[in-house]
Amino acid sequence: MEQVTTLLQVLFSGLAAGSVYALLALAMVIIYRTTEVLNFAQGEMAMVSTYLALSFIAASQLPFVVVVLVTLVLAALLGAAAQFILLRRAKEPSVLGLIIITLGLEMILFGLASWKWGGEPRDLPVPVSPYDTWVLGGVIMSQLEVASIVIAAVTILILFLFLSRSRAGLAMRATQQNRDVARLMGIRVRRVEMGAWALAAAIGAIAGLLTGPATTVEPYMMWDPLMKGFAAAVLGGITSLAGAALGGAIIGIVENLFGYYVSTSFKSIVPFAVILLMLAIKPSGLLARHYVKKV
Amino acid sequence: MLRQTLKIAALAVATLLPALPAAAQQLTGVTDTEIHIATWSPQTGPAAPWGAVARGTGLLFDMVNDEGGIHGRKIVFHSYDDQYNPAKTVAGVKELVEKAPGIFAIASGVGSSSGLAVKDYLMERGIPWVGPAAGSLHWITPPQKALFAIYPLYADEANLLTRHLVEKEGKKKIAILYASDEYGENGHRGALAAMQKLGVKPVVEVAVNQADRDLKSHVLKLKESGADAVLMWVNPTHAVITLKTAAALGFAPQWAASSTLSDAPLMNTISGGLWKNILFASFGELPDADTAEVKKYRDAFPKYAQKGERWGVFFMAGIGFVEPLVEGLRRAGRDLTRESFIKAMESIKDYKGVMGRISFGPNERQGQREIFLARTDDSGVKVTRLTPWTVVD
Repeated sequence: MEQVTTLLQVLFSGLAAGSVYALLALAMVIIYRTTEVLNFAQGEMAMVSTYLALSFIAASQLPFVVVVLVTLVLAALLGAAAQFILLRRAKEPSVLGLIIITLGLEMILFGLASWKWGGEPRDLPVPVSPYDTWVLGGVIMSQLEVASIVIAAVTILILFLFLSRSRAGLAMRATQQNRDVARLMGIRVRRVEMGAWALAAAIGAIAGLLTGPATTVEPYMMWDPLMKGFAAAVLGGITSLAGAALGGAIIGIVENLFGYYVSTSFKSIVPFAVILLMLAIKPSGLLARHYVKKV
Repeated sequence: MLRQTLKIAALAVATLLPALPAAAQQLTGVTDTEIHIATWSPQTGPAAPWGAVARGTGLLFDMVNDEGGIHGRKIVFHSYDDQYNPAKTVAGVKELVEKAPGIFAIASGVGSSSGLAVKDYLMERGIPWVGPAAGSLHWITPPQKALFAIYPLYADEANLLTRHLVEKEGKKKIAILYASDEYGENGHRGALAAMQKLGVKPVVEVAVNQADRDLKSHVLKLKESGADAVLMWVNPTHAVITLKTAAALGFAPQWAASSTLSDAPLMNTISGGLWKNILFASFGELPDADTAEVKKYRDAFPKYAQKGERWGVFFMAGIGFVEPLVEGLRRAGRDLTRESFIKAMESIKDYKGVMGRISFGPNERQGQREIFLARTDDSGVKVTRLTPWTVVD
C-alpha cells in the first residue's frame, strides 16, 4: 500500500513538473506551426518576463493578479517586438538562419538579464504557497503544484479553443501550411507571425511565473525547463498542440519515475533518450499528422 | 625570381628574429611597478552566489594598493567570469597567462571542476596558485610545489557535522545529498569516510545533476528513506529547490550544510525564508564577528565595495583565501620570483586573518585545518556559533 502511495506521489510530482514543460512546448509549437522556426529564445523570454514581474512586485503595491496581467501583456509585446525587430529584418531568410537569430536573441536576453539583475538567485513571492499542502489519499500536494497543473490545463484549453475556433487560429494554420497561398487569400501573413510570437511569449511568461516560486529566479532559470519543453514538443509531434501538452506531461512523469526508481544523477538526460526513441519509432511524434513537405 | 624569394625569406627571418627571444622568455607577470594576479569565478550562472569570492579578493587588493602596494609594486587584478563552466575557465586562464605580461600567480578561483580543469596547466608552468575556493582533496594529492590550498577539506566538515548530529542531537538516520560533480563527489566521499569512522551508515545517498531544476524525485527518495538528518553538498540554487520541495512534501529533517552554503542571509533570502535551524560548517569567522581582522575589512567595505554589494560569507572568503598570498608577496621581498615567493609561502606559520589559522611548510600544502559549526535560528538570518575552531583528527 505504501508503495502505491509513493508511486502516486511520484506521478503527481511528475505531472506538476510536466505542466510547465507542456506550456513551454506549446509556446514553441505555436511559433513553429506558423513560421517553421524553432524559437530557442523562448526560455530566456520567459525568464525576462519573470524578472519583470519580480520588479513590479518589488516596486509597487499592485495586487498579484494585476502584476500577472501586466507581465503577460509586456511579455506579448516583447515577443512581438522580437519578431518585428529581429526576425522580420532577415533578408531572404532560411529557416536555419531564423533559428540562429533566435539563438542570438537567447544570448542577448541572457546577457541583458545578468547585467541588469545580476547573477544571484532571487525568490519570487506569490500568493499561492509552495509550502502549504493538501493530502489526498496519502499523496501530498502543494498548493503551488496544484495551481501549476490547473493553470496549465486552463491555458491549454483556452488556447485550443482559440486556435481551432477563431479566425486568427485559422489564419495561423493557413500561414503554416502555405504562406504564399495564405497571403493570396488576404491573410496578412507577417502580422499573423507577429501574433504567434506575442502569444507564445505570453504563454512562456506563464511558465516562467510558475517556475520562479518553485525554484529561484535567476538568469539561467529556464534552461532546463526549456530543454524539457523542447523534448515534449518533439515527443508530441512538433506541430500538434494536444501533442505538446501530452508530451509535457509524459516527460515530467517519466523523468520523475526514472529519478525515483532508477537514478537521480541521470534523470535530466531521460527526456533526450525519450526523443531518440521517438525519432527512431515514430518520427512525426505522438499526435502530429504527418505532412509531406510541399516543394 | 630567386633573388626576390631570398629577399622575402630574409625579410621574414628579420621580422621573426626579435620576436624569438621574447617568445622564449617566460612571461612572469611581474614588472618593475606591477604584479599581475588572476582569478576566475562565476559572476553569472548556477553558482553565481559564489562569485562574491572574486569581488572580495578585489577589495583586498584595492586596499593593499592604497596602502602603497607591495615593495613598490601595485597588484593588477584580472578577474574572469567562467560561469562555473570548466571549459571557459581553461580558455580564460590560458588567455591571461599567455598574453604579455602574463600572470604571476592565481588567487583563489571558485569551483572544484573549474580548478581541476586548469590545475595541470598551471602546475606545469610553475605558476603559483594560492587558496582555491573549493575544498577538494585534488589540490594536495599529491602535493604540488606551487599549489597552496587553504579551504578546509569537505571530509573534515562531514566528520564534524556527522559527529555533531550523532553525538549531540541523537540522529540515527543520516542521508547524503550531493551534486554529481567534483565538488559534490568530494563532499560525498568525505561524508562516507567520516560516517564509516563513526560506525554510521547513510540511509540513502542522492546525487543531483548540475542541470536539474526539478528535484521532486530526489527529495522523495530522502523522505522515503526515513532520514532524520540530511547532509548537503549541493550548490545554493539546488539547496533552495531542495528545501522548497521538501516543504511541499512535508519532509522536515535536520538539514546539515557544507560551508559552501554558509551564507545564511543569502540562503534565507533566496529560499523565501526557509533557511531556519540549519546546521552548517564554517571555514571563516562569521561576517559580524568582532575580531580585529574582520573589523578592519568590514570598516573598509563601504568605501571599496561596489553599490549593491553585501558584506557576506563568500565576499569575506575572497579576502581570507588570498590574505596568505599577500603575506607571501610581502615576505618574498622586492626581488620577487616564483621561487622566492614559494619559499616565502612555505615560511607562513599560524597566520590568522579572517579564516582559521593557516600554516604552510616545505611539505605542507593544506594550509587550514580548522573549522567550526554554527546554526541559524528561527529567523533564518541570525547565526549562533556552536563550537570553537576545531581541528578534526
